[in-house]
Amino acid sequence: MNARVLVVDDDAALSEMIGIVLQSENFEASFCADGAKAMEAFRSVEPDLVLLDLMLPGMDGIEICRRIRAESGVPIVMLTAKSDTTDVVKGLEAGADDYIAKPFKPTELVARIRARLRHGETQGTEQLLIADLAIDVPGHRVTRDGETINLTPLEFDLIVALARKPWQVFSREVLLEQVWGYRHQADTRLVNVHVQRLRAKVEKDPENPEVVVTVRGVGYRAGTPVR
Amino acid sequence: MTDAARGAHPPGDAPTPGRRDDWFARVRHHAERWRRVLRVRVRLALRVWRGSLRLRVASTTVAVGVIALALLGLLLSAQIRDGLFDDRRDQVLSDAATRAELAQGQFDASTVSSAQEVQQLATDMVSGLQETSVGSSGVFLMRSPGSPAVILDPSTNDSLRPLISPELRERVQTEDFQAWQSVGIPRSDGGLTPGIAVGSAVTLPLAGDYELYLIYSLGAEQQNLDLLQGVLAVGAVSLVVLLLAMAWYLTRQVLDPVEQAARTAGRLADGHLTERMQVRGDDELALLGRSFNEMAASLQDQIERMANLSHMQQRFVSDVSHELRTPLTTVRMASEVLYQARGDFTPGQARSAELLQAQLDRFEELLADLLEISRFDAGAATLEAEGVDVREVVRRVVDLTAPLAQNRGSEVVLDLPAIAATADIDQRRVERVLRNLIVNAIEHGEGEPIDVRVGVNARAVAVVVRDHGIGMTAPEAEHVFDRFWRADPARARTLGGTGLGLAISLEDARLHGGDLEAWGSPGEGAAFRLTLPRRAGLDIAAKPIPLREVRSEPELEPPEDSSAANPAALPDLHPEPSTSHEEAKG
Repeated sequence: MNARVLVVDDDAALSEMIGIVLQSENFEASFCADGAKAMEAFRSVEPDLVLLDLMLPGMDGIEICRRIRAESGVPIVMLTAKSDTTDVVKGLEAGADDYIAKPFKPTELVARIRARLRHGETQGTEQLLIADLAIDVPGHRVTRDGETINLTPLEFDLIVALARKPWQVFSREVLLEQVWGYRHQADTRLVNVHVQRLRAKVEKDPENPEVVVTVRGVGYRAGTPVR
Repeated sequence: MTDAARGAHPPGDAPTPGRRDDWFARVRHHAERWRRVLRVRVRLALRVWRGSLRLRVASTTVAVGVIALALLGLLLSAQIRDGLFDDRRDQVLSDAATRAELAQGQFDASTVSSAQEVQQLATDMVSGLQETSVGSSGVFLMRSPGSPAVILDPSTNDSLRPLISPELRERVQTEDFQAWQSVGIPRSDGGLTPGIAVGSAVTLPLAGDYELYLIYSLGAEQQNLDLLQGVLAVGAVSLVVLLLAMAWYLTRQVLDPVEQAARTAGRLADGHLTERMQVRGDDELALLGRSFNEMAASLQDQIERMANLSHMQQRFVSDVSHELRTPLTTVRMASEVLYQARGDFTPGQARSAELLQAQLDRFEELLADLLEISRFDAGAATLEAEGVDVREVVRRVVDLTAPLAQNRGSEVVLDLPAIAATADIDQRRVERVLRNLIVNAIEHGEGEPIDVRVGVNARAVAVVVRDHGIGMTAPEAEHVFDRFWRADPARARTLGGTGLGLAISLEDARLHGGDLEAWGSPGEGAAFRLTLPRRAGLDIAAKPIPLREVRSEPELEPPEDSSAANPAALPDLHPEPSTSHEEAKG
């Protein structure tokens, strides 16, 4: 089955063009031009991924992002014309997984979408331990004392990447490549913001992280398993 | 050793020949020290003097006042003294003349027959004169030379006898009438009271020619004079004090507003644009205050308008950016779709798709550069600095541009120092500058080798990119950083470029507090030097490596020594326009 992509953008020409490109890459595209109707469209389409313009009439992209996150972990990729502003960070903090700066090439767009849809291809019964958490990789489940912690697919990828090599310190660049699929230099703010979001969910005390430990000047590593 | 020099020192300290040098040295040392101390004091005083208009005005006023009052006082007291003296002298002289006449009359009328009687007569006479004349300190009868020594010279006060000088006596003896002289009468406290000694010739019966001397005291006059001088002095001192107070007050009146203006101007310069002077009254100083405040208001107005404009400009650029980027994305994607499908097109259509694609790249680059430059213009560019080894950045950029260099047949020769060239830099910006410089060098290098050299000293890191291609003239080198400037309008730009690359590079360098300089010579090639301070705000005293150099000096100085590198060894980029012009000709 083809992956469904919901495009939320008020620019009709751009939406149509994105649709053409997505269809040529065998995605199923749906469109929504009004921010106020975005949630409605999201619920009816049940997309596998959302492409979201940050500047929208009705409701702005950041608010939509927050609302989608409140009810789903579906990957969200923002489209933005202002990559160097705080809007991007706000969007990421609201739960967006990645962003693409305008103007972008079709190949770039497709690569970003594929990277976000790629996960879930593990086989076997891989089980990982990180601090006091247990990770069931094929089951996409993270539990603490038998209690499930809800993570988005991206957050899950992030914690699995760290937990698979607990001896290794991951630089932000390496994480960008392994989790986000960037081959070249990318925005390290992506890592910073998502580590914060992940910590807020999995750490007992986000001020003193034990699961995702910061190694100053280098990056992050997994906390030592307790058991 | 002279006596004078020896006398200047206590005997115990007198130098023996062996200690002489030592002693001289000590004297010289002390003299030197005092001179130094004195010089410092004088300099300090001079600085205070120059630094305070109020002090200068007050002290000048006081000095002029004191001099004027002193002159006036001296003149006045001299006038008064002379007047008092002249009055008293006239009085004394007429008194003395009367008495001499009286005495002569009595002598003439007397009928003495013996020396004893003459002696008695003379003694009675002097004591009588002494008693009757006012202010007389002593009366003397002295025998003139040639008269027989019949009697002893009578006097009422023998201690004053030495006051009668031989000169006076001589004048009395030769003159008919009267002679006088100023004398100082010793007082019991050791001082002298001014007095006048008056002498007249008298003839005594039997004893012959004698001189009669009367000494008058001017004590009362002196007292009056002292009192007067005292009053004058008190008056003068109070006048000076008054003058000082006046000068102080007046300078305060004038200088306080000036000082306030200076303070306010300083506050304005510090950015407190609402700062104003207090204006009181309607005089010239109030006018100063009002004009000043008007200036400040207009300044504030201007600055606020400019800030507003800059803010609007930023907003505008940001909005244009967004508005342009959305349609550009659509065009870009459409072009891509066409480009991918160009195999199915006629040759003309396929080529059109290619051109569209290529020109869109250029358009995008241009838009990005324009936005970048407008960010610099708006002052919105920020530095994300971190400590990085510049050698690593250079290596990375050279690796990235290697395919292009290979394509052009240019070899990039790296010359890196053995020690780390760490500096606090914004990697993205420095990489951009270096990529720009190296790509430029490859583009204009005509297949010749390109030298990339890194130098470091205590304060700065420098990278020189030198090509040996077509080069450029000195006037061209001055313009390479201009926006949209092209060395040769007719020359095709094979590697594209927006015409903003070097302008952005220069802004990037300046944002770091560094510099970017260019040198070129037709046929010899061109060189660009990027200099970056190792820490933010560090002043680059000397550039670590020269801009233009023959590649024959592989040694690089360690950072300690290179800070002392002779700046004269570096070729100046813009010493004077004329020099660089000659350089270009040669």
